[in-house]
Amino acid sequence: MQIKDVYDYLRALLRKDERSERALEITEDAIDLNPANYTVWHYRRQILKELKMDLYDELKYCGEIIQEHPKNYQVWHHRRVLIEWTQDPKEELKLTENVLSVDAKNYHAWQHRQWVVRTFSIWENELSFIDQLLQEDVRNNSAWNQRYFVIYHTTGFNDAVLEKEVKYAQDMIRKAPNNESSWNYLRGALLEKDLSTHPGLMEFCEELYGKSVRSPYLLGFMREIYEDRLEQGCENVEDVLYKSLVLVEALAMEFDTIRVEYWNYIGRRMRERYAPKNDESEEAGAASAAMEVPAK
Amino acid sequence: MAAPTEDEFLREKHIKFFNRCIDVLPHQYSTMDTNRLTILFFAISGMEILNSLDTIKNKKEEIVDWIYSHQVLPNESASNLSNCGFRGSATIGAKFNPTQTSCEAAIAYDSGHIAQTYTGLLCLIILGDELTRVNRRALSAGLRALQLEDGSFKATLEGSENDMRFVYCASSICYVLDDWTGFDVDRAAHYIYRSQSYDGGIGQGPGLESHGGSTFCAIASLVLMDRLHMTFSRVELDRIREWCLLRQQTGFQGRPNKPTDTCYSFWVGATLKLLDAYDLINQHANRTFVLSTQDTVTGGFAKWPDHHPDALHAYFGICGLSLLGEEGLGKMNPALNISDAAAQHLDKIHQTWRAS
Repeated sequence: MQIKDVYDYLRALLRKDERSERALEITEDAIDLNPANYTVWHYRRQILKELKMDLYDELKYCGEIIQEHPKNYQVWHHRRVLIEWTQDPKEELKLTENVLSVDAKNYHAWQHRQWVVRTFSIWENELSFIDQLLQEDVRNNSAWNQRYFVIYHTTGFNDAVLEKEVKYAQDMIRKAPNNESSWNYLRGALLEKDLSTHPGLMEFCEELYGKSVRSPYLLGFMREIYEDRLEQGCENVEDVLYKSLVLVEALAMEFDTIRVEYWNYIGRRMRERYAPKNDESEEAGAASAAMEVPAK
Repeated sequence: MAAPTEDEFLREKHIKFFNRCIDVLPHQYSTMDTNRLTILFFAISGMEILNSLDTIKNKKEEIVDWIYSHQVLPNESASNLSNCGFRGSATIGAKFNPTQTSCEAAIAYDSGHIAQTYTGLLCLIILGDELTRVNRRALSAGLRALQLEDGSFKATLEGSENDMRFVYCASSICYVLDDWTGFDVDRAAHYIYRSQSYDGGIGQGPGLESHGGSTFCAIASLVLMDRLHMTFSRVELDRIREWCLLRQQTGFQGRPNKPTDTCYSFWVGATLKLLDAYDLINQHANRTFVLSTQDTVTGGFAKWPDHHPDALHAYFGICGLSLLGEEGLGKMNPALNISDAAAQHLDKIHQTWRAS
């Protein structure tokens, strides 16, 4: 059937709100032509309910459409409604895993998986699934996000878990120090903690720095530890400020030059906040001038 | 004619590109059925920012009528108020009825879609319409029916996914209608707050991965609600800024470790404008990337270099360049995602409403 015929027929049935097998068939033709037509999907669901159709057949059909159109919002929504109806999530992990095996960062698949895992409390194998994805691609930011999601909703980041997660992120960073995702995870896990007092962080950074790693994420993390020390009112303010400004300058001039304006701004902000304010003291003026990061 | 150089902005070609987008809209093209107004929005707003709306001067009235024909109107008993909004197309058989503000009988399954209401209203404003035929009370009631317990919005009354995109559509609709009675601001702001991820960016909902598009939707919504600084602390805003700035590679990516894509020069760029940090990006690298995705033959922009252009990327490519102050382009209102000129026209409409 041509587009016009399908929609003419569909319109006629919709007007009557006819809920029949032939109406169900015509929704399939219409979905074939445009899987994004939310009205057609909604109409289809009304028919499925009314005719008490076998929902497992529908799940199979829906799964096929998802494989064909994995970035279509309407079909993923249809899937979710079907699972709400059946209350049976057992195919969902496999389905999302299949979609993610083609595109490991498909937002719809992750969103559906999070909903299923959380709604039906299927947490037990999630960390090992994520681990497997991160072994394949340590830069898979979606997988890192899922890791945070799982920990947050299960154990939470209590001290023991935090220690384990910090170590996990650090191991992954050692493998690929220039990976923003693993650094973000490390930073995110420590969000509630003071970076300057949490044990082992600067040592970890210095270990990498000593191995000549100059990843902007490493330098940025070290800068943040220093800023936290300043924020906590450390004693050797000038020394700590100087060290952090050296990092900022390295970022601006050499290791993260695309963000030269940002790092210069961060440098200015740190000086404003933490440079000793001995008012007219010439010495302080000279020191802060010496710390000035040269403009590009 | 000499081949264009790599850094040449081909204004005339883009105007033609958008003109072609408008020309195909009324045609039978079922894959567009649910989002014709959105495609119209990309074309019209794009032309407005290109200062070239007068090339469709003769069609303006016809287009305005066509947009109004997508308004789902309340019936006499107002029993379908919750369905009101703008629909994506006339697929399910709504009559062409551009001049009415109510209807005799509602059609089964006929209801608005929040994204089409948003883009429909913006199109009308851009075209200089005074919104006199908009049934504001009905749109507001339709919107109220879409907000969920968690503060987010679904797109249609019948049910759909709910996420940050629709929170943004809802905020924009309320801003345009100058009426927030259809919107629980506290709950929406809380939903946005809960959607900030551990890495500083904002996802489509709580627990979801940070994304340039949802970060824009979240921040722009808060700006439209005038709730930005009440919702996020100084430190939290600093983290959002840094997350956005880290998205710049040459152009911008939408998520960490994803490729750069033209549209994020707007999504992330506009977010940084709203957060007063746009001057911290590398403007030259951004412009060079956006122009590398320009189609020098057909006009328009693609998401990546050497790919086919489409209406969405053509529009956001132009927007990204407008944010950069490209010569020949109008300035943008980053929160509303329309030109400054159109936003000023809306201000005038608001003044008239408030005076009456």
